[in-house]
Amino acid sequence: MQIWSWHGFFTYLGSPYIFRGALITVIMTVVSMMMGFLLGLLTAVMKRSQHRVLSWPARFYVWFFRGTPLLVQLVVIYTGLPKLDIRLSVLACSIIGLTLNEAAYLAEIIRAGLNAVPTGQIAAARALGLSERQIAWRIAFPQAFRLIIPPLGNSVNGLLKTTSVTSVISMEELMQRSQILVQDQFMVLELFSVAALYYLLMTTAWDFLQRRIEHYAERPYRRQQKTAAVEAIELPATTQDAR
Amino acid sequence: MITLDTVTKSYGAFQVLKGCSAEIGRGEVVVVCGPSGSGKSTLIKCINALETFESGQIYVDGMPVRSAKTDHSALRAKAGMVFQSFELFSHLSILDNIMLAPRLVQKRGKEELREHAKTLLRRVGLEQHADKYPIALSGGQQQRAAIARALAMKPDVMLFDEPTSALDPEMVQEVLQVMTELAREGMTMMCVTHEMGFARQVATRILFVDAGEIVDDCPVPDFFAGHCSPRAQAFLRFEAAHSR
Ligand SMILES: Nc1ncnc2c1ncn2[C@@H]1O[C@H](COP(=O)(O)OP(=O)(O)OP(=O)(O)O)[C@@H](O)[C@H]1O
Ligand SMILES: [Mg+2]
Repeated sequence: MQIWSWHGFFTYLGSPYIFRGALITVIMTVVSMMMGFLLGLLTAVMKRSQHRVLSWPARFYVWFFRGTPLLVQLVVIYTGLPKLDIRLSVLACSIIGLTLNEAAYLAEIIRAGLNAVPTGQIAAARALGLSERQIAWRIAFPQAFRLIIPPLGNSVNGLLKTTSVTSVISMEELMQRSQILVQDQFMVLELFSVAALYYLLMTTAWDFLQRRIEHYAERPYRRQQKTAAVEAIELPATTQDAR
Repeated sequence: MITLDTVTKSYGAFQVLKGCSAEIGRGEVVVVCGPSGSGKSTLIKCINALETFESGQIYVDGMPVRSAKTDHSALRAKAGMVFQSFELFSHLSILDNIMLAPRLVQKRGKEELREHAKTLLRRVGLEQHADKYPIALSGGQQQRAAIARALAMKPDVMLFDEPTSALDPEMVQEVLQVMTELAREGMTMMCVTHEMGFARQVATRILFVDAGEIVDDCPVPDFFAGHCSPRAQAFLRFEAAHSR
């Protein structure tokens, strides 16, 4: 038996079967992240509420889903739902499990972001007559979002790889498909190297995307602003007021 | 315009406001002064319901503040507020800072609002800065923008809570200038400040607050001529000794 087969490596790298597995991984990550974010936002807002009817369920939810392994959650969803006569595809079960699990972590990140929004600006918004709902959507959420982009980026990166846990309920994502192919020719190293390369590709693409989002969100917070610079060049005589 | 009727407020066992009463007529400029921790900020924040109070009543243009029926949004539209540390929305441009509340609360049209905002910015000398974000502005510029933001709601009265206390000395005047012009135009103003020069030149009346009580409520000339309580006289001496 060979130590390393380049032929095997490139065959798997070009395999549509593996490629589609990677695609499924991306889809699960994107969908679970987006739904998890919304659920996490709701949970964070509830947890911050003064009313116990709202904060307690949110606390319980976070406590439960952060306190049990994702693997267990997936198995319970996959085997439990049919017993309630709810029949869903493996993909649906996987996304539900990933979403519920991710939301619990995101809720804490979002809560930290909301806590960090300057209270003075909230008071100013209130003094201008904005309703609590308007304050949340127009002032608190946008500012909190900018603050939590780095930890959110971590979450997306982590989720890309955590999706592999769904192989336990036979979800055919990148990892599961790699393992299936191992049975063929036992080229473990070649296959897993291909899988690693795919994961690196996906996380690198996300890094790039995250930088763009961050750059956009930081725009209002850069002291060197384009308008100011342009003005300084164009109107040197009237800059007594400009910094 | 504003009536304070024995307003009482406590934080737990600590009584911050011990029955404050005063009357502020339309067009008056009332300066509120007093030692740190005396309750000036608390008092002014009770007027637009940023703080609650336990007993007594405040009327803004006839509207009772402490009432379940009062629409806080409508109340706050009547009383604009300017804070010590500006509190511009840091994620919005200066123009958007000014346009946000009138658009959301008063549902005013974008075109009319943009014109109004531009007019206000010209008035406070910031027309070239409309599209910048707050961080790119100096403290004095930020505070002037904050004044424009409050004025955009077309308030009947303006409340100021130490508007120049967070500013470097060279920027204090530019903000006081804007406030002086506002007073000249007939705006009703209630202003917590340590700027005794501003009080002397612009205010019609002075409220001296100490330990949660309005100790003095008198016309400006009387106050500075010493026709006020010993406590206020001591405060004035202290301010004079420490003024810059
Ligand atoms: N949220 C709060 N909880 C408890 N005590 C408070 C709270 N806010 C203010 N106080 C107390 O109430 C008193 C009055 O506070 P306030 O901010 O109104 O004073 P002030 O006259 O504006 O002082 P300064 O000149 O320093 O701004 C202070 O003794 C302060 O410690
Ligand atoms: Mg104060």
